[in-house]
Order: sequence, then structure tokens, then C-alpha cells
Amino acid sequence: MIPLDYFVVLGAVLFCIGIFGVLTRRNVIGVLISIELILNAANINLVAFNRYLGTPDGLGQIFAIFVIAIAAIASVVGLVLIIAIYRNGKSVFLDHFNLMKW
Amino acid sequence: MAEITFFFIALCVCVFALLSVLSRDVFHCAVWLALTLLSVAGVYFYLDAEFLGVVQVLVYVGGIITLFVFAIKLTAKIGDKSIVQVNEQTLAAAIVTAVLFYLLFKVIAVHPWVSGPGSAAVVSLKDIGNSLLTGYVLPFEFISLILLAAMVGAIVIGKVKK
Amino acid sequence: MVKIAHLIPLFPFLAFVVNILFGRRLKGASAWVSVLASGVSLALSVVVYQGLLAGQGPYDLGKWLTINGLPIHFGVSVDSLSVMMLLVVTIVGTLIQIYSIGYMHGDPRYSRYFAYISFFMASMLGLVLADNFLMVYIFWEGVGLCSYLLIAFWFERPAAAKAGMKAFITTRIGDTGFLLGIFLLFIATKTIYFSDLSHIVPMVGSEWMLTAAALLIFCGAVGKSAQFPLHVWLPDAMEGPTAVSALIHAATMVAAGVYLVARTYSLFVLNSFCLETVAVIGGISALMAASIATVNNDIKRVLAYSTISQLGLMMLGLGVGGYSAGTFHLMTHAFFKALLFLCAGSVIHAVHTQDIQKMGGLLSKMKVTGTAFIIGTLALAGVPPFAGFWSKDEILLAAFQSGHPFLFGVAVLTSFLTAFYMSRLIFLVLFGKPRSSLHAHESPKTMTIPLMVLSFFAVFVGLLGSPLTHHAFQNFIFFGAPSVEEGQASGAMMMFSTVLSLSGIGLAYVVYIVGNKILPVNIRARFAPFDQLLLNKYHFDEIYDAVFVRPCLKLCDLFSQFDRIVVDGMVNGTARVVQWFSAVLRPLQTGLVQHYLLIQFLGVIVLILTVMGKLCFRF
Repeated sequence: MIPLDYFVVLGAVLFCIGIFGVLTRRNVIGVLISIELILNAANINLVAFNRYLGTPDGLGQIFAIFVIAIAAIASVVGLVLIIAIYRNGKSVFLDHFNLMKW
Repeated sequence: MAEITFFFIALCVCVFALLSVLSRDVFHCAVWLALTLLSVAGVYFYLDAEFLGVVQVLVYVGGIITLFVFAIKLTAKIGDKSIVQVNEQTLAAAIVTAVLFYLLFKVIAVHPWVSGPGSAAVVSLKDIGNSLLTGYVLPFEFISLILLAAMVGAIVIGKVKK
Repeated sequence: MVKIAHLIPLFPFLAFVVNILFGRRLKGASAWVSVLASGVSLALSVVVYQGLLAGQGPYDLGKWLTINGLPIHFGVSVDSLSVMMLLVVTIVGTLIQIYSIGYMHGDPRYSRYFAYISFFMASMLGLVLADNFLMVYIFWEGVGLCSYLLIAFWFERPAAAKAGMKAFITTRIGDTGFLLGIFLLFIATKTIYFSDLSHIVPMVGSEWMLTAAALLIFCGAVGKSAQFPLHVWLPDAMEGPTAVSALIHAATMVAAGVYLVARTYSLFVLNSFCLETVAVIGGISALMAASIATVNNDIKRVLAYSTISQLGLMMLGLGVGGYSAGTFHLMTHAFFKALLFLCAGSVIHAVHTQDIQKMGGLLSKMKVTGTAFIIGTLALAGVPPFAGFWSKDEILLAAFQSGHPFLFGVAVLTSFLTAFYMSRLIFLVLFGKPRSSLHAHESPKTMTIPLMVLSFFAVFVGLLGSPLTHHAFQNFIFFGAPSVEEGQASGAMMMFSTVLSLSGIGLAYVVYIVGNKILPVNIRARFAPFDQLLLNKYHFDEIYDAVFVRPCLKLCDLFSQFDRIVVDGMVNGTARVVQWFSAVLRPLQTGLVQHYLLIQFLGVIVLILTVMGKLCFRF
């Protein structure tokens, strides 16, 4: 059987890819996509730990289900916000929104 | 055999994730994200979490990706190839990410992990159902409340004001 | 015995609070608030007077604070001196406030005026009732503040604003001496209570320290009572409303200096040098001010110089050992000088000028005011049986008996000049023909009724200290150890004093009525240099200006330069350094979320290194 740390490393890789996306994408939707990757990295860890170390009530998986629900909520609100911003500013590029300074 | 399956799935996850982050066209990004999420569902299946895998496919690939596609299509012009899709801090971000990954890897490497699956082993769908409606019923209901609030909020924010 | 004396200053203070907070809404009613409060104080003072006769003494309201082991109490001193002052202040104060209703009518800051007056009444009554130096000093500054506010009441006029500042700064010089005197006395004797002065202080204090303390305390009295050399502020203080001049700058506050000397008299008695200083300063002030008053043409300034002169006489009286003479003159003077000022105010109200050369023949047009004016003048000039006669006679007698021929001469000359300049004043104002087209009219009832009441006092209050009532006042005020046998008014002195007054009046009659317009001009031309000296008030203002004011302003200029260049430079420099730093650091804050996120992850890296670094790398 595969050792647990393989899954943890897989989670770390996915996490870092997501972070790179969040840091570099100009498009707000791209940033949201990257955030989904980060959440999935967390989910992989949760499920893997549950499988290897977990209790019979499946807490890790239930937690993962909650994360998926929260991710769905985040995407819905985030995308609606993007559409609202786009209506006002005709742009979805993050570096156009630098009003919150000084 | 089990190892080969794992490495294949892991490779799929990494490659698709990289593609979804690096693609110029946001629509393509969404497609690669869908594939990444499917691969992650594969990881769940591999870990004997069939219910979670199914939820992943249904909610993520079925619901969220559709939402993304709608959003992309609603915000015009963003598929235009002439627009630069990454900002000027790409190099710095790459270095930071690399260092971060290196550190995470180091930490993982020095930690003494268990070698095989524990006695808890597989959690059946029945167990999850039981847990959700007994011990974790409060957070479960709470999530539904948040979903409702998000729905209402999204409608209010998204409404075109006259 | 009910202890109510401490309530006396409370009512005017409440009136002050009401008027200062709700004055705008009260409008005309604010005057009645103040008058009512004064009236209550007056009634309480009468009750306290009866209590004193029934044997009530000073009492204690409780401990206020402890300084260096010395407990300081809210003491209320109820004795003959303070009760005498209470009655004078409340009677005169109430009448003047009633007068002010008419006099200040239509003023834009009507209620503010009454608020100040009430605060003054509260401070003055508190000053009278305080039984220790510390409380006296607090109220002392309170009346000084009111004086400043009321002199500069019409601050739109530059002259009034300037006069207010002059009064405040000049008295401040004396007050500084007063404060130092209190400190010195405390160092020497460890007490600040008046009651300790007579029996404890002479035992414990070293002589030179007590002398110095007495002289420093006298400095405060000199400033407040406008004595030489700090007299310059009082004539200028006439820029304020006339009712204020009557109350503060004639009857009560300026008398506080004399009151202070009387209150601390046992300290002065210790050393004959102190008493002589008081007498000499008083004598100089009396003669100097009286001589200036003979040529001045401003009706209020003549009265102001007269006040300085009379206060000087009181000081002289105290200085030559006439304790009861000085305090008696303080009381009678308060009444007739308030009367004179109110008459002057009534005249000014009618003719809208203060120049006596433009007045004349007003008696026929203003019967009540004119009669009151004449009564006040006779009282001040010392014609029997008016009030001033009895008290001035006492001072002359005390000076005569003290064996200082020089001081006696000064007192005599001052009395003569007083009769002369007051007669000149009323001859020019009330008699003869009008010298300019003035439409005079009698003042309203609120103004004339106080005049009548004060006239009554000006006539009869002197009888309290006359042989006719067996020296009731002297027996009442009697002080433990007077240096001369008092109250033995001799018939010869009375005759002399009467002749003195009548000759002064007669001279004025000859010069200003018989001589009409030609004689005064001729006399003045004959003595031109002396006349100029008097007209310029002995050049005190110019000398002070050259010696103190201008060097001080130069110094201020220097300091303001220092302030502008060095201090402001430091402050602005600090600001500029901050600005420079912020200009350097500001680009860090781009407003771009991804920049912040990048820096956040740098922080995460540092965090991992700190927490896990040892584990991962073994360094």
C-alpha cells in the first residue's frame, strides 16, 4: 500500500500550484480557479488522513464534504461579485482595482 | 500495480492543475480545472472514499465548473489572446512558491509517518449518513443555512439595479 | 446658632451659573436672577450680623486638603470686620445691580454682564469670609478676573480691551508679591490662618521673615487697591460700564487691599517699619492722586483718582495705627463713592459724554441725580454731618496723634484738595450754563431709586462712628491692640477738618463760579509746567512704558523669534521627517491584493523557518 506521506506530498504540490495561480493570475476568475485547487489540496489531505488514521465515524470525509459545500458557496458569491464589479468597472483584472490604498 | 495507479492519478492531478494555472485562455483554464477535479475524484476513489468521489464529480464538475463557464462567458473579452494574463510579479511568485514547496517537502520528509492504513480502514456510505444526521447534524444544518444565505446574497448582488 | 454664613457667596454663584448657562433664554430676567441672589445674600448677611451680636464666632466647614502635613480647612471667619464688609458689599452690590438694570438696558451682552457681576459678588463675599490666606488668594484672583472681564466688557473698543489687560497685568505684579508673602509666612510660621496671626505667629517666626512677609502681602494690597506705584490701572479701568466702576473699582474690590491689610493687621503691628511703609505709600498715593484729580476733565477719571486718593487715606490711617479709622473710612467711602459713580453714570447716560467741560447746568434738568451728586460730594469733601466727615476726621486724628507731622500734613493737604476737586466737579457739571447743546433728561426709576437709597447711606452711615452714637462702629470693630488711643474725636480736630473742607469748597467756588471761565485759564497759564505735569499724571504711564513695557515687548519679540525659528522648526522638522519616511514607505502599499498576498506568503516562509527550521535543517 502507498505510504501516507505520498498523499501529503501530492496535497502540498497541488497547494503550491494553487498559490502560484493566486499570486500570478490577473484575471479574477483565474484566481478563483486557483483557490479551488488549494481547497482540493486540503481535501486530499483530509481524506488521506481519514483513511490512514481516522475514526469509524468518518470525520475526515464529513469535513471534506463541508469544505466542498463551502467552496461552492465561495465560488457562487465570488463569481457574482466579479459580475457586479465587471458591470461597474468593465474589467475583471485585479491590477485595475487598486483603490484601497493610502 | 496499486503504486502505478496512484502515480498515474497523481501525475494527472499535477499536470492538469499546472495547465489550469498556466493557460492563457480562461475558458481553457476552466476545462483543465474540471479535469483536475476529476483526477482528485480519482484520488478519493483510490482512498476508498466512493461517496466523496461521487460528490466531487457531481458538485464540482457538474455545478461549480458550469458556474465558472457562465461567469467567463458573461464577462466579455477576457478570452482575448492579446491580453497579458499574468501580472508582473510572476518571477517573485514562482520563487516564493518554490521555496514554500521545498520547506513543506522538508517538513513532510522529516516527519515519521505511519506506513499503512489503520484499523479504521474503510468508512461506508452508511456510516457517513449516520454521522451526518446524528453527531454532526448541527454543522450539517448550518451549512444548509449558509447556502441559503449565499443564494439570497448572490441574487441581491447580481440583480441589475434599475 | 445656625451656621449660614457660608451660604452668602453661594447664591450669587448660583446666579452666575444660571446666567452663564441660560442667559440667552432668560434675556431681561437674568438681571432679576442676579438681583434676587444678591438680595438673599443681603438678608443672610443681616442674619449673620445678628448672630455675631448674639455671640457667634468663626466656624469650620470641614477639611479641604492636607499639604505637607498641614490640614487646610474650609474655614468661615465670622467677626466684626468680615460682617462689616459683608453688609457693605451686599448692600452696595444689590443697589448697583438694580441700577444696572436701567444702565445696561439694551446691551447685546446684557445677561453676560449680570453673570459676571454675580460671579464677582460670589468671589468678593468668599474673599471676605475666608479665614486663611490660601482661600483668600483664590477669591482674590476671582475678583481680579471679574475686574478684567468687566473692564474689557465692551471689548469691541480697543481702549477697553487694553485697559482690561493693563488692569490684569498691573495687579498681577502685586498678586505675585502677595503669593510670595503667603509662602514666606508659611515657611516662617507653618500657618496660613488669620486667627493664628495675633498670638502664634509672633512667637515662632523670625522677625525679618515676618517683616518681609508683611511687606510682600502689602504688595498684593497695593496692586489691588491701586496704590502708588501700581495705581496706573485704575483710571484706565474707567473704560468699563460705570456701574462696574462703582461696584468693583470704587466700593468693593479695590477696598479688598485695605481689607487685607486690616485683616492681617497684627502682622503689620509687629514691626513699626511695616506700618510706616503702609502709611507712606498711602500718603503718596493720596496726595498724588488728589492733585491729578484737580485738573482732569473726564468725570469718571476724576472719581477714579479720587478713589486712589481715598484708598491712600485709608492706608495712611491704618499705617498710623488708626485701625478703626481706616476700616470706618473704608465703609463710608464704599457708600458715597458708589453713589458718586452711579450719579456720574446717570449723567453720562443722559448726556452721552464724559467730558466735564462740555457739561454744565445739569441740576435743573436732572433733579434727583443732581441732588444725589451734591450729597455724595459733600460726603466725600467731609462736610459735617455727612458720612465722609466722621471717618476722615478719625484718620486726621489718628495721623495727628501718631506723631508723624509729615503724614499729618499730607492727610490735611489731601483733604483740602479733595474738597476742592469735588467741588470743581459739581460746579462744572451741575451749575453754571450748559457749555454745549446737550439734551439731558432724568434717568429711569431703576437708576434713581438706588441713588436715593445710597444718598440716605451717604448722609447717615457716618453717624455710626460719631460721638453722637458713642462711637458704635469703633466699639463694634474694636481691635485688640491699637497703637494709639482711638475714638476720642476732639472738638478742635472737628472744627479744623470742617474749616478745611469748607475752604476747599470755597476756593473752588471762587475759581469756577465767580471766576467763571477766565480765572481757571489764567491760573493754569501761570503755573503751566506744574499744570502740564498734572495733566500728564506725573508721566507714570510714559515712564512705565519706557522702563517696563517696551523692554518686555522687545524680549517677547526675541522669544517669539526663538519660538518661530527653533521650536516651530523642530516641530515642522519632525513632521517633515515623518513625511519623508512615509513617502519612502508609501509605495509598499499598492492597493493590489496580490502584492499583499505575496508578502504574506513570504511571512509564512519565515514562520515555517522559525518554527520548523531546527527540525528540518539542524542548524
